[in-house]
Amino acid sequence: MQVTLIDSPVANTANIARALRTAGADLHITREAEAIRTAEKLVLPGVGSFAAAMRWLIDMRIDAAIRDAVDAGAALLGICVGHQLLFEASSEMGMTRGLGLVPGEVRIFEGRLPVPQIGWNRVAARGPLFAGVEDAVFYFVNSYAATHALHEIASADYGGAFTAAVQKDRVFGVQFHPEKSSAAGLRVLRNYIQWT
Amino acid sequence: MDVIPSLDLLGGRVVRLTHGDFATVKTYGEPEVVLDSLGVPDGSRLHVVDLEASRSGRPVETGIVEQLAKRDLVVQIGGGIRTVDDARRWFDCGAARVVVGTVAAESPALLEELADTFGAARIVPAVDIRDGVIRVAGWQREAGATLAEVFARFEALQIPEALVTDISHDGVLRGPSFALYRMLAEKTKTRIIASGGVSTVNDTVSLSRHRNISGCVIGKALLERRIDLRDARARVSVPNAIPERVIPCLDVRDGRVVKGVNFTNIRDAGDPVECARRYEEEGADEIVILDISATDANRETALKTVRRVAGSLFIPLTVGGGVRTIEDFRALLRAGADRVAINTAAIRDPELIAACAREFGVQAVVLSCDAKRDGDRWLATVRSGKELTGIDAVEWCRRAEQLGAGEILLTSVDRDGTNSGFEIDLLRAVTSVLRIGVIASGGAGRLEHFLDAIECGGARAVLAASLFHDHVLTVGDVKAFLAGEGIPVR
Repeated sequence: MQVTLIDSPVANTANIARALRTAGADLHITREAEAIRTAEKLVLPGVGSFAAAMRWLIDMRIDAAIRDAVDAGAALLGICVGHQLLFEASSEMGMTRGLGLVPGEVRIFEGRLPVPQIGWNRVAARGPLFAGVEDAVFYFVNSYAATHALHEIASADYGGAFTAAVQKDRVFGVQFHPEKSSAAGLRVLRNYIQWT
Repeated sequence: MDVIPSLDLLGGRVVRLTHGDFATVKTYGEPEVVLDSLGVPDGSRLHVVDLEASRSGRPVETGIVEQLAKRDLVVQIGGGIRTVDDARRWFDCGAARVVVGTVAAESPALLEELADTFGAARIVPAVDIRDGVIRVAGWQREAGATLAEVFARFEALQIPEALVTDISHDGVLRGPSFALYRMLAEKTKTRIIASGGVSTVNDTVSLSRHRNISGCVIGKALLERRIDLRDARARVSVPNAIPERVIPCLDVRDGRVVKGVNFTNIRDAGDPVECARRYEEEGADEIVILDISATDANRETALKTVRRVAGSLFIPLTVGGGVRTIEDFRALLRAGADRVAINTAAIRDPELIAACAREFGVQAVVLSCDAKRDGDRWLATVRSGKELTGIDAVEWCRRAEQLGAGEILLTSVDRDGTNSGFEIDLLRAVTSVLRIGVIASGGAGRLEHFLDAIECGGARAVLAASLFHDHVLTVGDVKAFLAGEGIPVR
């Protein structure tokens, strides 16, 4: 199954590429807006700064290409900051606009636990992305998250509930790192790759 | 689990005695002022001990209990209650429950009469235990009845909760007696209010993981501001879902895994990729590679090892050894490490921590601290524990957190390679002053050691090397054991 991985410099693309290949993807890695616009199955990775990642998408005109692809029926999976970019905005650095593909906003954790969250966390999940996952524990590295998102398909608790994954039609997002989540993470990637 | 503030009253003031000795009284002030300063909200359960009453055998601080009850506090009061009339006097003042000590262990008929008269749920028997034996009359003598007999009586009377103090742990701030509460879980269905030794927020979290514990009382640690009540309550109210991690460590030299006590008599223990993959299959939550040969001359060998291991794993990888500059740090991340541990170079230049946190993010920076005991404190060491610095290890970890370390890898140099258990005092000293996580390292030898490091030491992860390389235990063994003891694991 062909998967197009968006080669963002604000991401750990190499690790995600290796995990996607292990999970069975026939991988195409690109920064070309045109290739992204015509793709059928996209993966948008991201680590670090929401604003920097969004800035790169806009500068490369990839933001519009992603929206066009989704409008044309492509599937999309956002990972970590890539997941956050799917929302309307993030409170990082004032307020930064996102892709707006799923409703909701991303905000900094406000509990009493140390930020960033670094480590494994148990999620309550449902839907095709998590089919066959035996123990839904995934690896997270994040300071920001959506809470009670409208299209939430997985939630977890870090000093308060937060959205661990979303699905709106053909657009998916996971706040955790499937490429660092051992068998459970690879299963999620395989489910996305095989999803139709 | 209910976190219950405990106030000892004497002469209308909140006080603390050391080991029950009235000559050692320390005064904290008027009860209501103290409650406000501790941030005790209305509706809270409050544990109150009338010290004068316990000495004289008559209720004394009745006026204060009346005031507290009017503030909508749920007061459980104890102190020398020896008759039904004593108990009635306290209930008339607005107390919700009475705590009975000597009576509970020594006077079955009176205990039954109290339960019949006021309701079993309003009687809280207090049991003081030393070495598995109940002590009465101000801990001065053994009770006539055994632990099993006393708890059988509580169950027969349908008394729901008992306050249990391990005398040897009371007031010494070295952690509650987890083993005692675990033993009681097997002996009785009575729910336990834990008392004694609770001195860190982690202690309350660990107690809340025991299914037979319904509450814990905290006195000294609240008054001495070691525990913030709101913080403790928030922490025990969240679901017990964030897994603690088990981390195998690969000591690597010239591209091979090696093992040896204190880095002498080093022996080959295999290929790092094969070891790391096996550990991931066994359920390892992360792999740590410490390259003990990472000098400038063979840096390329070290990076090659990291690339090979990172390219075969789907769990996080932390790498340390010989990191001197921000460029060394960057090279390891590029080679596939998720996090990099800095040790000697950070001690020589603490700014390196801040610079790496700015450049790569807090989550990428691990401070590795090798601590060696020096009298009643610990000193940081450099060069794998070979060279002592004058730096206090606890202070150094605290400073590293402020500078931007995301986690501390804390190794006890004295315990390393001994299989005699993690150094719990060191772990408690560090974890009680940090918000970031601590990985316990050095001394693992048995399953119970891992439990102890997390439950009592407050570690968020436990690390071992030779134990896993030598197949004494598997990662799976450790995780299954922890899960069985109520510790969340993946």
